[in-house]
Amino acid sequence: MLFNSIDFAIFLPIVFVLYWFVTAKNLRLQNFLIVVASYVFYGWWDWRFLSLIIFSTVVDYSIGVLLSKEETTIKRKMLLWTSIVVNLGFLGFFKYYNFFLDNFISAFSFFGMKINSNSLNIILPVGISFYTFQTLSYTIDVYKKKLEPTRDIITFSAFVSFFPQLVAGPIERATNLLPQFYKKRKFDYSKAVDGMRQILWGLFKKIVIADNCAQYANEIFNNSNEYGGSTLVVGALFFTFQIYCDFSGYSDIAIGTSRLFGFNLMQNFAFPYFSRDIAEFWRRWHISLSTWFRDYLYIPLGGSRGGTWVKIRNTFIIFIVSGFWHGANWTFIVWGALNAVYFLPLLLRKKNRNNMGDIAHGKFLPSAKEFLSILMTFMLTVFAWIFFRAENMKHAFSFISNILSSSFFEMPNFNGIENAITVIILVLLFVLIEWIGKTYQYALSCISLISSRFVRWSVYSVIIFIMAMYMQTEESPFIYFQF
Amino acid sequence: MKKFIFNLTIFLIYSFLIYLIALFIWGNFAPNVLKPNLKYPIGSIGNLNTRLKEVKTVSDVDILFLGSSHSIRGFNTKAFKNEGYKTFNLGTKAGTPLQTLTLLNRYLNQLKPKLVVYDVYPVTFEMDGVEASLHLLANDDIDYYSFELALKQNHIKTYNTLFYGAIRELFRQNESFKEDAVRDKDVYYSGGYVERSNYYWQPHTFKSHNIEINKKQLKYFESIMKIFESKNIEVILVYAPISPLYYSSFSNTKSFDSLMKSYSEYYNFNETMRLNDSLHFYDSDHLNKAGVDKFTPKLIETLENRK
Repeated sequence: MLFNSIDFAIFLPIVFVLYWFVTAKNLRLQNFLIVVASYVFYGWWDWRFLSLIIFSTVVDYSIGVLLSKEETTIKRKMLLWTSIVVNLGFLGFFKYYNFFLDNFISAFSFFGMKINSNSLNIILPVGISFYTFQTLSYTIDVYKKKLEPTRDIITFSAFVSFFPQLVAGPIERATNLLPQFYKKRKFDYSKAVDGMRQILWGLFKKIVIADNCAQYANEIFNNSNEYGGSTLVVGALFFTFQIYCDFSGYSDIAIGTSRLFGFNLMQNFAFPYFSRDIAEFWRRWHISLSTWFRDYLYIPLGGSRGGTWVKIRNTFIIFIVSGFWHGANWTFIVWGALNAVYFLPLLLRKKNRNNMGDIAHGKFLPSAKEFLSILMTFMLTVFAWIFFRAENMKHAFSFISNILSSSFFEMPNFNGIENAITVIILVLLFVLIEWIGKTYQYALSCISLISSRFVRWSVYSVIIFIMAMYMQTEESPFIYFQF
Repeated sequence: MKKFIFNLTIFLIYSFLIYLIALFIWGNFAPNVLKPNLKYPIGSIGNLNTRLKEVKTVSDVDILFLGSSHSIRGFNTKAFKNEGYKTFNLGTKAGTPLQTLTLLNRYLNQLKPKLVVYDVYPVTFEMDGVEASLHLLANDDIDYYSFELALKQNHIKTYNTLFYGAIRELFRQNESFKEDAVRDKDVYYSGGYVERSNYYWQPHTFKSHNIEINKKQLKYFESIMKIFESKNIEVILVYAPISPLYYSSFSNTKSFDSLMKSYSEYYNFNETMRLNDSLHFYDSDHLNKAGVDKFTPKLIETLENRK
């Protein structure tokens, strides 16, 4: 079920009413309702994949219980590795089987050996990368004794399958989300209002900005050989806003929906395009994944402790794995590696934590230095997105070489340019609102400071009108569903 | 919780009012490029506005013609009048079964036809029908059936046009609107027929195309057939001529023909008439005057022979 669909618009109020009016007095029943609602939500795509979530839930629940009883280090390690192998095994099979097979065959062909093998027609279950990492975090935390394992299978199932963030995150840590399922939830008016506001903002980002940018990004990327350098830059810029608004829009709707049910999820995006360097960008972009890799991969590998080569190795590992997490394609790996290249100079010069404070602190406009840093970081990010969006490496390189041609100095021109001006105005308006609200959890949150309800409601109503007037008319899935 | 639900309800009402006000301002004053999801095609090609004004004055017809622009431009009501028939052509531009169903709900009881001739152009069964819904909403009164149409279409453009149309009606903005009977290349004749003469198509080839019927449109079509059945109205389904070149590009016409035959008496004139791609059509699928002059006697003959 898509957040931006009529189905969800009907589903959400039904679950909300059942949750607060029918099951509110019984915590277990309320959690059970979440499990049922989440399975309906997920099964809406393809009910067959429910078996994967249920299996993963049962495995990690059982391993958690066994870990609590087991004191022997070797046996505890075996249990941990069972969870890792099962979870990553599923992920590897569904997401990476064909990639490894194809590359394996290519590698052997390179050395003159011919291998006959057929790729499998594997459908990637929606959200598998997200819930796999969420359940893994539970087992790892239980193993490390940071978290008491739950003995309530309903609660654990609700934690794994919690529908607002099931298919595209934020990837919640068990230490944050699981305890919330143990506590009795009380309806909080201001929290629910804030949730609604965040849902509205997320929808605006998705159906107005992301989907409108998508039509031009798709046109330009899909026909990149026909366009000149300046047009390709415009295409990359459209994709830059598309991917941000698509994914952060989803996160906003997920977080807002969770708040309606009394849950607090972690912030997933913190205005990344206002970052002053790449290190700051990665503290602001897809925070739940970046911190997951930091805590469960980078730090166990030694982090930034140790010698220069260890730092370089760990940086490349975390960025390449992060790229590979996005999809089984060399473009994602190169995108990750490119970000490692951007990041390394900061790390080696110990400047990766230079920009920890607020952007343009205490002022409306940034200083000239800050502005240039933001612009430079933004341009580096746009360049990296070309690899992320390209169909394959050949496409990425031809796209970049076309940008670097003399046509870079021509006026951009593409199919539908006459209507693109409206989208550009909307993007600029969006950037302005993001800038104004950059110190909040999400930009529209700054509206809550206005004491007049009349003004607040008028602003929301204008946003709704803009959505009605400018939304893309075809329902389109969120980009991160494919990951 | 009560406070939340109460305030949410009040907000939704308030927000709807703001939406209506903004729609009025935007619809009247913003340039078209700034309103991609608000179309108000009043008085557009096909003279729907005139036709829908005229239909309100007509009752007890012998033959009611239905369908898309192929109906409007193919079923010559003035020729039928000369033959002594009282007819009306209620076709709509790009009309799919959904718009035909809406029009029937609105006008069938008043028109009381003895016979219905319904043009079933396969492409109209493939379309979502948004364009035709916008035409219908912008050119007819807003009533219960308009809301039903918008809900069934379930598209933001139809909702915007519906509410904008309702506002225009409230402020009587459409009252002074008058559509010209002669527009560019077209002439509207009383009874709903639109004629285009002396324009000829320059033929070109088409890629092979498989007719893929939209399940929703088939469901609306079945509802239409049930209405006729319940009112004991005879229906003849007609596939009016399209250019032979274009016709031959459809790869599964036979299965479409058998589907239509399963609903009612059906005539595919593309199989029984020999028309010229250029001389008888002004584009790939619309008859010009010369084409209609050849098609009409054949249609009248077919209808009379079945008596």
